[in-house]
Amino acid sequence: MIARVLFVHALRDFLRFRRVLAWLLVIAGVAAAGWVWAGLMGQMAPTDVYARLSSILTFRVLPLAAAVFATAVVGQEVEQKTIVYLLTRPVGRPTLLLSRAAAAALVVFAIGAACALAVALAAGLGSGVARSLGQDLVALAVGSLAYVSLFLVVSLLLNRAMVVCLLYAFGWETSVGNMPGDLYHLAVSSYLSAIGSKPAPTSGNPLLDLLSSQLGLNLITPQRAWTVLAVLIVGCVVFGTRWFATHEYVPREDAE
Amino acid sequence: MIELRSVSHWYGQVIGVNDVTCTIGPGVTALLGMNGAGKTTMMRLITGQIRANTGSVRVLGHDPFANPEVYRLLGYCPDVDAFYETMTGREFVTLMARLAGFSAPEARRRADEAIDRVGMSDRADRRLAGYSKGMRQRIKLAQAMLHDPRIILLDEPLNGLDPGGRREFILLLRHLADEGKSILVSSHILFEVEQMTRSILLLHRGRLRATGDLRVIRELIDRHPHRIRIETPQPRALASRLVEWPFVLSVSLEAGGEALEIQTREPDRFYGSLPELVEQGLPILGLSSPDNNLESVFRYLVEA
Repeated sequence: MIARVLFVHALRDFLRFRRVLAWLLVIAGVAAAGWVWAGLMGQMAPTDVYARLSSILTFRVLPLAAAVFATAVVGQEVEQKTIVYLLTRPVGRPTLLLSRAAAAALVVFAIGAACALAVALAAGLGSGVARSLGQDLVALAVGSLAYVSLFLVVSLLLNRAMVVCLLYAFGWETSVGNMPGDLYHLAVSSYLSAIGSKPAPTSGNPLLDLLSSQLGLNLITPQRAWTVLAVLIVGCVVFGTRWFATHEYVPREDAE
Repeated sequence: MIELRSVSHWYGQVIGVNDVTCTIGPGVTALLGMNGAGKTTMMRLITGQIRANTGSVRVLGHDPFANPEVYRLLGYCPDVDAFYETMTGREFVTLMARLAGFSAPEARRRADEAIDRVGMSDRADRRLAGYSKGMRQRIKLAQAMLHDPRIILLDEPLNGLDPGGRREFILLLRHLADEGKSILVSSHILFEVEQMTRSILLLHRGRLRATGDLRVIRELIDRHPHRIRIETPQPRALASRLVEWPFVLSVSLEAGGEALEIQTREPDRFYGSLPELVEQGLPILGLSSPDNNLESVFRYLVEA
């Protein structure tokens, strides 16, 4: 029962009007960019247009949303000093953390799904695109869990984790797909692209290939992707829960 | 109910509390100390938000750190002025009741009762963001006692309360103590504490300097000369009259001002005799005692 109360409370907090408005603007931006870009890629098949837009737009917004909401699970409570009310209630710390993290993952998935739908509409929602959209929704669900659990651990370990998470999301995740060698194994997005829709290896446009992280190799099979992501999610959740249950979290001004 | 044994806690290189040993039983106990003395650290150790680096903390026999069993029996009013600002007071207190494990109807009932007890019923449906400091203090108090805890910890609870609110709060505190609850109240204002309880823990720079009855400490203070500053337009005339009083140890005129400072070992007798001076036509415009504050208490205790 308390887990549900915590989940709903976190969800309400994450879905405050100003926040929702900001994310609606992001989704509208994705839709507009998708529309313009789809027009420029008119000669490509709709499924390829969708897959490319999805990797450039949807799977870029996903870690951004995860960085914002995962760091809010504990970090926001510490920053606004309300953590004291949560930590002095008869609620187990694992319950507290997992309930709030689940709310964050749900919101991140909803944002990712809305972006995917916007991109699908921009690419022309035929049967092929609908199939790719279905594949991407699965990848987005897993990706939400993976990013949220990863960033949650970062936010438990570091004081101002948002900066680190955003650097990771925009720096590492966007560039590693274009790097030579096996470094792509160290990015969540590489595994998500193995599960979700895949653009053709090359579009003939180097800029487009660069933006959709298609310059490097990605030999990850869906089976391996599922395994690695499952291990990442479970590992981060177990570690994060254990860490949160055994470490001190006090209002920010006292933590420094 | 609460037991600390050789407890120390550091924030990096800064010491929060240093080798504190004490027990806190039923009734009201005041945790007295200046800002930075370690009161909040001690509260956080007892509420299990932080761990002692050395020593042990026990609340009802349990280690309080992240222990839900302890939180069922403990209510805490923190010093931080932080809330979920978009919520109303009633929503916030109800949420806290839900997190205490009560069903929705029971949580609403308990929230209404607690809000009523702190005198906020008519304002509880306004957003917390629009509350005054005193109203926020009352809501914090309501959330601390809604689950009928055996132990209540109140960190600087009178901050921001108006005189009426303070009086009501002190009455409420006495009522809770009469119910057999252990209440630990922190404050840095001696006068406030004297109105609440005589049982005190005195912290200074992280160390426990004194425990026990405030009257004993008062007596200790009274063994030292007490300074009193008197503002008057006739300082010399007043000084010549004051030196005749046997309980006045010294009188000194303030350079250039219309004031003098006396020293006495019997401040009560001195204050009781002041009306005589006024009757004799010696005007007194103001009275203040630089020794009637916590800093002087600590100075006396350290010197003693």
